[in-house]
Amino acid sequence: MQTFDTTTTTLPTLRRDSQLHETERRLNAVLNNASVAIFLMDDRQHCVYMNRAAELLTGYSLTEVLARDCPLHDIVHHTYPDGRPFPLAECAIDRAFPENNQERGEEVFVHKDGHFYPVGFTASPIRDDEARIIGTIIEVRDITEEKAAAERQRLLTNELNHRVKNTLATVQSIAAQTFRGKTDTAARQTFDARMVALSNTHNVLTAQNWQSANLRSVVEGALAPHALAEVDTGRFDLVGPDTRLHPKVAVTLAMALHELMTNAAKYGALSVPEGRVGVSWTLEPTGAGERLDLVWTEQGGPPVTEPTRKGFGSRLIERQLPMEFDGTATLAFAPTGVTCHLCVPLTALGWHGQDLVTGRAAR
Amino acid sequence: MIDLGGRRVLLVEDESLVAMLGEDMLLDLGCEVEIAMRLDKAVALARGADIDMAILDVNLGETCSYPVADVLFERRIPFIFATGYGLAGIEPAYGAVPVMQKPYQIAQMERLLRHLVTCETLPTKAGGRPLACGCSPGAKTGGPQQMRAD
Repeated sequence: MQTFDTTTTTLPTLRRDSQLHETERRLNAVLNNASVAIFLMDDRQHCVYMNRAAELLTGYSLTEVLARDCPLHDIVHHTYPDGRPFPLAECAIDRAFPENNQERGEEVFVHKDGHFYPVGFTASPIRDDEARIIGTIIEVRDITEEKAAAERQRLLTNELNHRVKNTLATVQSIAAQTFRGKTDTAARQTFDARMVALSNTHNVLTAQNWQSANLRSVVEGALAPHALAEVDTGRFDLVGPDTRLHPKVAVTLAMALHELMTNAAKYGALSVPEGRVGVSWTLEPTGAGERLDLVWTEQGGPPVTEPTRKGFGSRLIERQLPMEFDGTATLAFAPTGVTCHLCVPLTALGWHGQDLVTGRAAR
Repeated sequence: MIDLGGRRVLLVEDESLVAMLGEDMLLDLGCEVEIAMRLDKAVALARGADIDMAILDVNLGETCSYPVADVLFERRIPFIFATGYGLAGIEPAYGAVPVMQKPYQIAQMERLLRHLVTCETLPTKAGGRPLACGCSPGAKTGGPQQMRAD
């Protein structure tokens, strides 16, 4: 670790009568024990004071910086990481001066030994008694660790996306190989369509790093004919506010909608050109969060008769979905068209990071 | 051969699609099934339901099924864990409980449930390793030393 002659690292302007001297001693104790680097700049952007953390961060002592008698930028921020010179006029920290309190940003500084390091800064103006701006105070911290952690997180998420997708594709392939010639084409197509529905939901989840999925994207993903297509607005009316869903809710809801759509395409409103499907939902605030009420309504299809046996879709919708989320589900085969009413409490799970995702955390 | 027909099994599994699969397998084995997909309901059923044994998915989303296990220990109802994480995913205190590897396979499920019916040594909380009773439910015929690589 580098050490400096810290006797010079003191506030510059105070006179040494006893009370001021005591104040100065306290301020120096605070500043030199702070772990964040603090720079005090005059109106020419020359550094007139820096604390010990700032000396360690930059590699320069205050004495050296004062002796250079130039803008601090030219000492610690003079070169872009790609090697181009970085003129003061292009410096975001300089531009932050002198407009607002606590301007924040990220930059890359150059250490005295020549290496680059990413920093986060906060800049605020210093005003005199007449509120004229006479300088800037800049806090700077090294964010190398944060940057590295974010990069690791990004790589892991990419790996997760890749593996999940590959696993689904592998399952699909195993099923295709296993059942080739042994099962009817319709069953194979149903299976493939369900795999695709599951895979589409994972697309929505990967878009938000597996933390949540937008309700609207989930609905649209489930109702679109394939991953790259839009929902056919000639057949579907989607009405409802967006919100963020827990991944588990997203997956089960998407599978439920997929089953409703498949049924509509085979026997219901989507089996004839004039049929339409309405999907509308509301979000009601509840004590613990909000409750999703979603209604699926088919119209214009052939007369509906109650199916004689309950299939995968009814079982998933009427039995599993309410059990998984402590909600309710009603599936009705009215002669005029199938309707389905799903009621799902969205915060009943109490999952880790929920506040973060739903934006309810105090910031 | 021990018949599993008519045995009442509590299945605790938090993913809808996986729960459906587990339920179907248990029904195929002739068992009667109670499903719980959430911790509160699972604990209530473990406390009050008339069940012979249980299968507990260890990881229930943001929580774990250990509170259910504690109730079952108390009631001396035998159970197995189901997990995709392997033995390392089980807390040491529950190490004596037999573990069924996910994805579910009906043959493995059948062997372990048979084991629960026949084995007289009930695992306890406080550690140990799975099947410390000396049984080897992997074997087709009895005998603690016979193992089959399946």
